[in-house]
Amino acid sequence: MHYQAESYGNYYASTVRQSAAVDPLERVVRLASGSAVVIFSLSTCCMCHAVKRLFCGMGVNPTVYELDLDPRGKEIERALMRLLGGGSSVPVVFIGGKLVGAMDRVMASHINGTLVPLLKEAGALWL
Amino acid sequence: MASHRIEESALSDFGHIPYAVPHMIHPPTTTFTNQEGSAFDFGELEEAIVLQAVNETKQPLYTGRPAATLEMFPSWPMRFHHTIRGSSKSGEESTDSGSAVHTLSSRGEGSRLEPESPVGRKTDSSSDHRVIDQMHHFQLPQQIDMASGSDSPRTGMSQAQPVAKTTSEKRRGAGSNSERMLDAKTLRRLAQNREAAKKSRIRKKAYVQQLESSRIRLSQLEQDLQRARSQGFFVGGGGGAGGNISSGAAIFDMEYARWLDDDHRHMSEIRTALHAHLLDGDLRVILDGYIAHYDEIFRLKGEAAKSDVFHLITGMWTTPAERCFLWMGGFRPSELIKMLTAQLDPLTEQQLMGIYSLQRSTEQAEEALSQGLEQLQQSLTDTLASGSVNDSMHQMAVALGKLTNLEGFVRQADNLRQQTLHQLHRVLTVRQAARCFLVIGEYYGRLRALSSLWASRPRETLIGDDISCQTTTDLQMVQSSQNHFSNF
Repeated sequence: MHYQAESYGNYYASTVRQSAAVDPLERVVRLASGSAVVIFSLSTCCMCHAVKRLFCGMGVNPTVYELDLDPRGKEIERALMRLLGGGSSVPVVFIGGKLVGAMDRVMASHINGTLVPLLKEAGALWL
Repeated sequence: MASHRIEESALSDFGHIPYAVPHMIHPPTTTFTNQEGSAFDFGELEEAIVLQAVNETKQPLYTGRPAATLEMFPSWPMRFHHTIRGSSKSGEESTDSGSAVHTLSSRGEGSRLEPESPVGRKTDSSSDHRVIDQMHHFQLPQQIDMASGSDSPRTGMSQAQPVAKTTSEKRRGAGSNSERMLDAKTLRRLAQNREAAKKSRIRKKAYVQQLESSRIRLSQLEQDLQRARSQGFFVGGGGGAGGNISSGAAIFDMEYARWLDDDHRHMSEIRTALHAHLLDGDLRVILDGYIAHYDEIFRLKGEAAKSDVFHLITGMWTTPAERCFLWMGGFRPSELIKMLTAQLDPLTEQQLMGIYSLQRSTEQAEEALSQGLEQLQQSLTDTLASGSVNDSMHQMAVALGKLTNLEGFVRQADNLRQQTLHQLHRVLTVRQAARCFLVIGEYYGRLRALSSLWASRPRETLIGDDISCQTTTDLQMVQSSQNHFSNF
């Protein structure tokens, strides 16, 4: 699991004006496509901790964005909440750039057996 | 109850019998329950029997209505070794003393007693032994029923055998020197029995009173709940009758009780459908209904979690035995799968794979949720432990905020349970799934029954036992028998 709280700095130098104008949802999509498994989280959230443990327990190495440690995390949180249709903003999981959903969707897809194939397809899990 | 009716009729036949027994029998009250042990004046009855042995004449009673005599003393203790064997057989058949008699007479003829069988064998003073033997057959089924301890060690099942030998000897001794003098030992014993019987009466009275007051309280509580519901869940400090349960919790408990009744109905439907070998299509419809029934309880739990998450997570809605296995406010899905794999025998290779991967994924999900909950607990501990005196209000506010996350965990755990059941339904064929859900329902039914049995198990009580202690046990039994709770 690798945390990307400060990694936006990598983009900063080259895309200052772009990143300032980028719509938060676009940012989300861009970040989500950057890795096989992407989790948007809050460092203080216990449910986020649970979803992280779930993936680690399966041997997956997700990319985690702690939104409370990001200067523009609030915008992303709001965007995620809109994306999911209310409720809580985190945790939200993307696999292979595609939205899986919040904790309940992740659990449901694990139980009904669709999570593992998705992970394998994205290259996050090898047999 | 049948035994009481027979007793009453026995009473009326006793006019011509020249001993003191009839007037000592207390007519049964409507609130009497079998569970309170012997209602009869044990002491006086034994006295009468001894006197009868002393007389040693064949009584018209025996030829006429031996059955009535027997029914009169349903609480006579087990004394004779050989009767235990026979009565354990009859004990299995029923708990009604009336029908125990008919198994005793080893015919299948309804609940009427057969005058021939006991009478035919009676020719001498050993006849009274037979009478006593047959009374013992009554005693055993009742003892199985009885919730409370016996009123004297002599009626305790555990002491039946050692007592049997000595008292049988005593009895034969009394019979042989019948000529009469009731020796001092016997007299003392009779006095003890009278004491025991008196204590038993007092206990019974206290128990009955407690039952009545509980009944009143229960009806008051139900009225309050109805009122609360109609007023839109206005919380009035936990109910008018002083219950310490929140209205959300009480409402959920009622809804759960109704759900359990529905569950029972659904299960019978599935059972008959399976036995009737319905077409798969029809069975599928029934099964879909059952899945929807489960979805309903998870929905209800979700609602309850909003108003009283502690009620769910501490398992107060369940029975004690289920609480033992509680995980995050309900059953542990991986444990359920483990239990099922043994019961679901012929499975195809593919199905087996499906079940095993389901077990693995539920285990992983449970582990993740448990770790999340642990982190919540750790965080809460840190909040409560730290903080200065000045900051206490803020600290409490933070802690309260953290507590709200509990609801999320219970919701996710229920979601996991729901998904597990759905997946089971998908992996198995219709008939297998029907059998599977029957197994689940029966398993939890038995667990609930275990809780009731445990609460009502007979305890060893001494004669000098505290009345309040005894009736507390009985009350627990009553409460748990009404409390067929806890499933998910």
